[in-house]
Amino acid sequence: MAELQKDPITRGDFLGFGLLGAISGAILTIPPVAFVLSPVIKTNVLGQTDIDQGWQRVGPVADLEPGTPDVFEVEFPIEQVYSDREIQEKFSGSQKSESEFTVRHAVWLSWKAPVKIQGQQGSGGDILGEPEKPAILDQKTSGFTQSERDEILGQLNILSNSCAHLGCPVRWFPEKHEFLCPCHGGLYDINGGYVGGPPPRGMYNYTQAEIREDGTLYIKHGYDIEPGLNKQQPYVV
Amino acid sequence: MIGRIRSQTEEASKFVVDWMEHRTGVVTILEHALYEPVPKRGAWMYTLGSAVLLLITVQFLTGILLLFYYVPSTDHAWNSVNYIMNEAYFGQLIRGLHYWSANFLLAMIGLHMAQVFFSGGYKAPRELNWVVGVILLLLVIGLAFTGYLLRWDQDGFWASVVGMKIGSYSPFVGGYVINFLLGGDVAGPATLSRFFALHVWLLPAAIAPFIGLHMFLFRKHGVFGSQMEYTERLAKLHERQRLEEYAGFEMDDDEDGQNGRSNGRDE
Repeated sequence: MAELQKDPITRGDFLGFGLLGAISGAILTIPPVAFVLSPVIKTNVLGQTDIDQGWQRVGPVADLEPGTPDVFEVEFPIEQVYSDREIQEKFSGSQKSESEFTVRHAVWLSWKAPVKIQGQQGSGGDILGEPEKPAILDQKTSGFTQSERDEILGQLNILSNSCAHLGCPVRWFPEKHEFLCPCHGGLYDINGGYVGGPPPRGMYNYTQAEIREDGTLYIKHGYDIEPGLNKQQPYVV
Repeated sequence: MIGRIRSQTEEASKFVVDWMEHRTGVVTILEHALYEPVPKRGAWMYTLGSAVLLLITVQFLTGILLLFYYVPSTDHAWNSVNYIMNEAYFGQLIRGLHYWSANFLLAMIGLHMAQVFFSGGYKAPRELNWVVGVILLLLVIGLAFTGYLLRWDQDGFWASVVGMKIGSYSPFVGGYVINFLLGGDVAGPATLSRFFALHVWLLPAAIAPFIGLHMFLFRKHGVFGSQMEYTERLAKLHERQRLEEYAGFEMDDDEDGQNGRSNGRDE
């Protein structure tokens, strides 16, 4: 083919065309790629999140019985695509979407059962003692002091119902005394610890939580993602 | 009377066809595209590809129709599907066709691929057509995956969540893949918009040229080539053997052909 070419490309030509090509290539490709990948850049690179980072009410913990986890629904407001918040800030009188967009979480609360023997690989989970409810909850219903609140919180399992395997919602089976995932049969104990099935770890815990003076639990969106095989968020739900 | 009308119609249509052929070559194209010698044995097996093409065409047509009513937003997606199913005339038919032909499409693709595989249709020079076919399969799987979420019901939602989480386990890029599909870090309005964009624009736009390429390569090489070629090769072999035989006769006696033939090769 080379002999067909009348004017061989000089080094200057090559560099010039290369530079020109690189510039025009960048102009043509960077905007659309960044446009499509902007959520990836925002979440993975800049570490932003679509979920409201404020406190959300879960519910009163006083009625929680030891040995039977209870499920609470928590709605975290999310800000995605419709930019309602920005529009409301700029033009507060303008029309707003009728429904507020939220992501609904099911939060399992239970009293911690002390771990007697740490589970080994393939052992079928931890050997647990009897779950204990903090005694202070039987004495008063409100006006908890800071230390009492810390004690209650320390005894509480705050678990996401999103299975650590593929995110299906897990459910408590009282007769089995285990959490069971409907999709592929992941099993967890009352502390959310791994018992069996495909999940690579135990259930996700909410890491930011507080008990208020009236004994109500509030949480923020955030999980202990560290102990997983890969540090994955539960993402959805 | 009838005969006259018939002959007139014939003439008129011949004129139209000739006119079009002269200007566009459409008749030649159609002849190339539609007529192809098929081996007698197992001829029905070669219609599977056409079945796939028909089902994809149905997907395109019914999909376009569904877009007249479907609303890709989290607060109205399900409602609009409900409207299609209950209020729009023939909505159940149109959506049912879209749904069922999507299901049968994947089954047909499986059969089509099995037929090509077991008949050795992927062998040289048709390797690239197999490759293009696999790309088409992946695009169809992508379409099946993204279409499921658009209903925004529990079924589709959780299937998509599980599917996306499976994607999130891919090495190195898993975390990026799921955030790309979610359009953020939570399943919400952005997720639906993205799946809509992928299902309705990106993947159909990507699948169309590959279908064209698949058809072009298929017409270039033929689909039942292996069997045809085999017959052809066999014929050639017989021809060569015959020629060699003749050559043997001739070598015996190249001076006198008449005697040579009677002598044979008994030396």
